[in-house]
Amino acid sequence: MLDLLANGLVNIAQWKYLLPLFAGTFIGVIGGSLPGVTITMTVIVVLPFTYGLDPLAGLAAMTGVYVGGSTGGLITSCLLGIPGSPASIATTFDGFPMARNGEPGRAIWLGVWASVWGGLIGALFLVFLTGPLAAIALEFGPWEYFSLFVLAMAMVAGLTEASLLKGLISTAIGLLITVVGHDPIGSVPRFTFGSEFIGGGFPFLPVLIGIFAFAQIMTDLEKLNQPRGQAAEALVGVRLERFSHAKVNWEIFRQPFLLAWATIVGLIIGILPAIGGSASSVMAYDQAKKFSKTPERFGKGHPEGIIASEAANNANVSGSLMTIMAFGIPGDAVTAVMLGAMTIHGIQSGPLFISQNPDIAYGIYAAYILAHPCMLLICVVLMPLMLRVTSVRMAVLAPVVLVLCVVGAYALNNTMQSVYVLLLFGVVGYVLVKLGFPLAPLILGLILGDQIEINLVRAIMTDPSPWLFLTRPISGGLLAAAAASVALAIWQHVRHQNRVAEEAPDF
Amino acid sequence: MSIGRDGIAGLILLAVSLVLLVQSFQLPSLPIVPVGPGFYPSIVLSFMAAASALLVLQDLLKRRGLAAASASEAPRRNYRLVVITFGIVGAYVALLPLLGFRVATVLFVGALQTALGRPRKVRQWLALAAIALGTAAASYLIFERYLLVLLPRGAWTGF
Amino acid sequence: MARTFVTMAGAAALTGVMAAFSAPAMAQYPDRPIKMIVPWAAGGDTDNIFRPFAVEFQKHIGQPVVIANVGGASGTVGAREAKAAAPDGYTVYAVHDYIHLTFYAGISDVKYSDFEPICLVGATPSVLTASAKTPWKNWQELSDDAKKRPGEITVGATLGSTSHIFPAMIEKAAGLKFKYVSYDGLAPRMNALLGGHINLTDSNLTQKGKVEAGLLRYIAIASEKRDPESPDVPTLRELGMNIVYEVARGILVPKGTPAPVRAKLEEGCAKATREPSFAQAMKLQGTRVAFLNANDYAQFLARIDNENKAIMTDLALIKK
Repeated sequence: MLDLLANGLVNIAQWKYLLPLFAGTFIGVIGGSLPGVTITMTVIVVLPFTYGLDPLAGLAAMTGVYVGGSTGGLITSCLLGIPGSPASIATTFDGFPMARNGEPGRAIWLGVWASVWGGLIGALFLVFLTGPLAAIALEFGPWEYFSLFVLAMAMVAGLTEASLLKGLISTAIGLLITVVGHDPIGSVPRFTFGSEFIGGGFPFLPVLIGIFAFAQIMTDLEKLNQPRGQAAEALVGVRLERFSHAKVNWEIFRQPFLLAWATIVGLIIGILPAIGGSASSVMAYDQAKKFSKTPERFGKGHPEGIIASEAANNANVSGSLMTIMAFGIPGDAVTAVMLGAMTIHGIQSGPLFISQNPDIAYGIYAAYILAHPCMLLICVVLMPLMLRVTSVRMAVLAPVVLVLCVVGAYALNNTMQSVYVLLLFGVVGYVLVKLGFPLAPLILGLILGDQIEINLVRAIMTDPSPWLFLTRPISGGLLAAAAASVALAIWQHVRHQNRVAEEAPDF
Repeated sequence: MSIGRDGIAGLILLAVSLVLLVQSFQLPSLPIVPVGPGFYPSIVLSFMAAASALLVLQDLLKRRGLAAASASEAPRRNYRLVVITFGIVGAYVALLPLLGFRVATVLFVGALQTALGRPRKVRQWLALAAIALGTAAASYLIFERYLLVLLPRGAWTGF
Repeated sequence: MARTFVTMAGAAALTGVMAAFSAPAMAQYPDRPIKMIVPWAAGGDTDNIFRPFAVEFQKHIGQPVVIANVGGASGTVGAREAKAAAPDGYTVYAVHDYIHLTFYAGISDVKYSDFEPICLVGATPSVLTASAKTPWKNWQELSDDAKKRPGEITVGATLGSTSHIFPAMIEKAAGLKFKYVSYDGLAPRMNALLGGHINLTDSNLTQKGKVEAGLLRYIAIASEKRDPESPDVPTLRELGMNIVYEVARGILVPKGTPAPVRAKLEEGCAKATREPSFAQAMKLQGTRVAFLNANDYAQFLARIDNENKAIMTDLALIKK
């Protein structure tokens, strides 16, 4: 196994692979740092290049985008308080306050180094656990998938801060959005009111871009033209203060448990299908806060929050890679695109992938590992440039980002329909935020909705007995974990409410 | 006992889920699928209806007074700008298939920049125009010419 | 207000200038990239066949051919968009037999006759494939077992599409009764088959590697003759069922596309399908290169449409 990995590393170290990897990482960091440009969009933009490349070169470029993008998002998160990509959403909670307190350099480099270490620890799991996971994956039937998705939703229900009830409603709204349009089994139109526009359903990415980008940009615009100081513009043209990399690393390794736990949380979320970077970042943040000795400092520029979020979102990449390589199902939209690139080159992913394509499998491991030093190098060399990228006025940034959102939605399917959906859900997302509904559970429901229905119906079509969900061991175990997770969330919520008076949500 | 923001939101969601729930029972079923297309939506909708009803209940039972005080302290938000921005984006999306990506984007970037921070000097106006033209030209060149990602063409302009 | 007006006028003028610079002289078709609508997700088997095709096609057309994967709702979203596209030759539609099925199943209102045919590109014979976790080594064992347990053998299929119709034809010809489970797309069906969560499915020769590794079993192929690459797989005809079922993939354009434009596309398609590299790529896809020109393809479509209508009527799946 280690010799295979060594071969993989030597293989990737050739120029024909190293160059795409480096280029991918660079584009990833830039794309990740631009708000409204998600890692998914960046990887979609890179996709056409990979057609002309050797399969491994293309996959190396995409792995680079994924790693770079997961890190790049933290720059805007810290400086503007807008996550550059959804994966760094929780980095804003403490990164932005820390930067506002006059330590933008500390905030950013804590994030970058936490990403590197989280990613590299994740690599260990990627290399050693993907094989065993693939063996388990073959045993997953529709019952197991259904229960796995239920567990994922139950876990995210625990994420909601303000109101558990609103979190659950948000999840339901997300699930409901996927129900609209033709049903995935027999293509019967549902809730379309006879409209052609709704008939095609609401494609996932335009909805996601709409909800996220508009909710973010519009809540920022609300604060525009206010007395300066509070607005995001405060950090425009910032210069990083003097800091030491050694000290930043010391800050991270002083709490090995935090780093390890955030990495594992990120990894597990990555492995769980369809949850993705934003949930890993938020969940690790939440965990860090729960386990912290100083939970009251979270949200005010606490380094632990940045470390947890960034270590988790890079570890999440390794988890997602495990899922596409072991299960052959995408962990998120980014790996969905990677999976597409593999199949274009005639490589079928799935439980048999590693044994049938060891060169490519170990090449991906090697690319993932090497992407981290590449990313670090890019950040060190190009930080001044990237600071300028993010120090653009809102009046300039907002139109450009919105244009990119429109292009992203349009280019996905090459239809205006997606753009209309983008706008519609931009409004919906903004209104929901204004009503105090958390968006993360909604997005989760949105990603899982289709799959959960399909697997539920498949299970019933294969065998009408509903007890199989409980009596099949893996499925039963997952459902038990889901129930435990909900119980835990309710218990923590009750305790939380007793301890602190309910705060009015920010938005 | 008065109804608040959450209560109203809950009532609306409750109404929506009940209407859709009725619809989901009317969906035709398929001969070879044991559960119809309404099966899963009805589960989701029942769940949503129940949760919305609870939200209304929770809101009605909540003690008020504190909320009113904190509302006035909240920073003044510029909702006018949000409405204008949504309006401009809406116009952009509507014009995109008519004028084509390049023309519509120049107009959109220019208009939104003006709305968000109106330039005062000639130099600022020039910068605005440069950004508008630059955004449209760069995204066109990069996406359509270089990456071969097609962008909308205008029905009126054919361009 | 006046100032805003001036700016708007300025912006409009600038736009006009820009338009003037890049306005295309009415050059010969094609003078800009052509969009090829593939109504399924990237990485699916249809996509895998049309991507290598687009590479050859653009060589002979002289403009980039950009694949737009317009997936969703059993391919009907892409079909609707192709139907609504301007008939100027800049949108072509990569189609397969599903267009007939979704129409008769009442899923979509788009019919093949809403388009002008350009050419047939390839045909992929269906192969009845069994999970290695089933006891059947060949058709006879499968058939005997199925007769003993009607309605218990599970078949993974995209309901109402080719992977459903093909096993349904076998069901009818052999007097069996299967139980269908919805699995959209080949890849999910393969994994379910490997895990033993379904017993049978429709696949094609792309799965040869897994068959050779003993993870799946080919039961029978629905082509006229045995495939030279997999000579051990019997045809359904040999087994006494008169079934030839190949998924035919071709190129259509919206109705009203001018004849010279269609001729140009047809010529490009003919040349592209003759490229040896395309034949090589199709071999990997378990597909036979099967060029038909516009006239022949039109007749082919009409024939296939009738056949599909008959099959759908037989199987009581017809709604239109």
